[in-house]
Amino acid sequence: MAVPILRQGDVLIASIQSAPTDEDLRLLQETLVERIGRYRTRGVVIDVTLMDVMDSYACRTLRSVGQMARLRGAETVLVGIQPDVAFSMVQLGLRMEGVHTALDLDAGLSLLRARLASRQRPSGGDGAPPHQ
Amino acid sequence: MKPEVEVTIRGDSDVVAARQAGRSLAAELPFTSTELTFIATAISEVARNILQYAGTGTVWCRLVENGDRSGIEVEAVDRGPGIVDTEQALKPGFSTGGSLGLGLSGAKNLMDEFTLWSQVGEGTRVTMRKWARRSTLAERARELI
Amino acid sequence: MARSSRDRPAHSYAAEMGMGREEIQRRKEWLEITPQDEERIRSLHTLAHEYADEVIDDLYRHFLTFPEVADFFKETSVLDHVKAMQRDYFVRLTGGNYDDAYVEERLKIGAVHERVGVDVKWYLGAYNHYIRFVGAKIFESMEDRPEEALATYFALQKLIYLDIGLAIDTYVFQRERTIRMQQEAIRELSTPVLQVREGLLILPIVGAIDSQRALQLTEALLASIARTRARVVVIDITGVPAVDSLVANHLVQTVEAARLMGATAILTGISPEIAQTLVTLGLSLGQMRTVGDLQGGIEEAERLLGYRVTKVGRPEDSYPADG
Repeated sequence: MAVPILRQGDVLIASIQSAPTDEDLRLLQETLVERIGRYRTRGVVIDVTLMDVMDSYACRTLRSVGQMARLRGAETVLVGIQPDVAFSMVQLGLRMEGVHTALDLDAGLSLLRARLASRQRPSGGDGAPPHQ
Repeated sequence: MKPEVEVTIRGDSDVVAARQAGRSLAAELPFTSTELTFIATAISEVARNILQYAGTGTVWCRLVENGDRSGIEVEAVDRGPGIVDTEQALKPGFSTGGSLGLGLSGAKNLMDEFTLWSQVGEGTRVTMRKWARRSTLAERARELI
Repeated sequence: MARSSRDRPAHSYAAEMGMGREEIQRRKEWLEITPQDEERIRSLHTLAHEYADEVIDDLYRHFLTFPEVADFFKETSVLDHVKAMQRDYFVRLTGGNYDDAYVEERLKIGAVHERVGVDVKWYLGAYNHYIRFVGAKIFESMEDRPEEALATYFALQKLIYLDIGLAIDTYVFQRERTIRMQQEAIRELSTPVLQVREGLLILPIVGAIDSQRALQLTEALLASIARTRARVVVIDITGVPAVDSLVANHLVQTVEAARLMGATAILTGISPEIAQTLVTLGLSLGQMRTVGDLQGGIEEAERLLGYRVTKVGRPEDSYPADG
């Protein structure tokens, strides 16, 4: 089952349904990368609220999405990781490098706005505050 | 007559089936919701391991008892190539994103008991258990002091 | 054979208590309840029906002479209902077929009594009454066959011991469950996650942490982050005497798990001793934000959240006018 992807201006929002197959995730990765290029996307939100388990495959795939998005100039935020799932992930030793994380869609969009705004500012600082 | 579930692993949808069956079974015991997710995640990792390295195998989930404790036992068996260095395979960090992606050390962290048997050319068996928390009389006495 | 939630029976006391068929079989063997015994008990069934009312009336006449128990039966409707149930229980004793359903029924009745608050000692009083009453009837009706009468009496006694065992187990199980719930409540009290500001949580940890407690702390914190939509959490370990590698690992994991939920964790109150331990353990707390004390940690948290605390007015103004 394909993951629904919405576009809100220069942000893409993908909502993963519960128990995606490996194929679903691979397809998501392909689709996102293609659309980031097509729409000159600057931010990607991946909503995993409905995922009851995040295993090493899912983690690797989402990390890849983040890396590929970055290569195409977009920042990725993972939102909706459930408490149980977050706990399991750290016990598994999974790391989510290269992607931001936020509590939910709202928080994720706010974070993206803040990061994209700070990227536009000429002076640097050490990056925008982590959350807005 | 203890309840048991058997799932043959042939494709990635079987990985999902195995972990969901395991979670359902474990839900019959007083596990917390976090523990149920731990169990499902551990099953996902070992099932995925079968898929990735042996192509096919079987996962059994069964309820077990030990004295006054009840728990869930998961057995994952395959006749794949086997693991050359089982000690190395269980070292933490071995599963994180590397190309080998063996989720065994992670699964070990999630469960209470974990044994790995593997013979090159013959196959691999992982047996893991998690016990539902039930405090013993001694623990209780200590805590009430 | 995969079990789905649809197949699961409504609620099984036997399953909950781990009282499977094998366990019951063991108990019957332990008490030496034979098929002949079950035959003998069943042979009393017709008589049991006949004098059921007599037994129950006698039983409650006895009960009601005890004020502690009489209180339970103040209302006639309650007394009638209870007597009817008791009559069924009594008749069932000699009904034969002591299978899963029989056990489940007995466990349920025990659970109900425990819940209502009838103490075990009173509950056991009924058995005492039955066996004496029925015993007398047995010897009366089998005067000419004293050996058979005794065998029948013993058979009934064995069954009653089985029932008593189940009753005691139910009480113990229910009591243990209550204790477990109380323990949970105590644990929750000792792991408070405090919301001091919108988006800011503080988790002050006091006392030694073992693996079990660490797990609970993490669970509680993550659940709070979800519930309060916190963006910064301050974990204060001022009150923690010592930290070993296991606990340090738990802290690192907790910080990372919080991050996965979009919250930044700040660790405060690391004593010089603990700092030493952590360095010795070679743990890289590099990624973690640490601040010396709780106050500093809160200030840092507020800064991260975009707050700025300014002092307004003169120091004298902080004192109430009416002194």
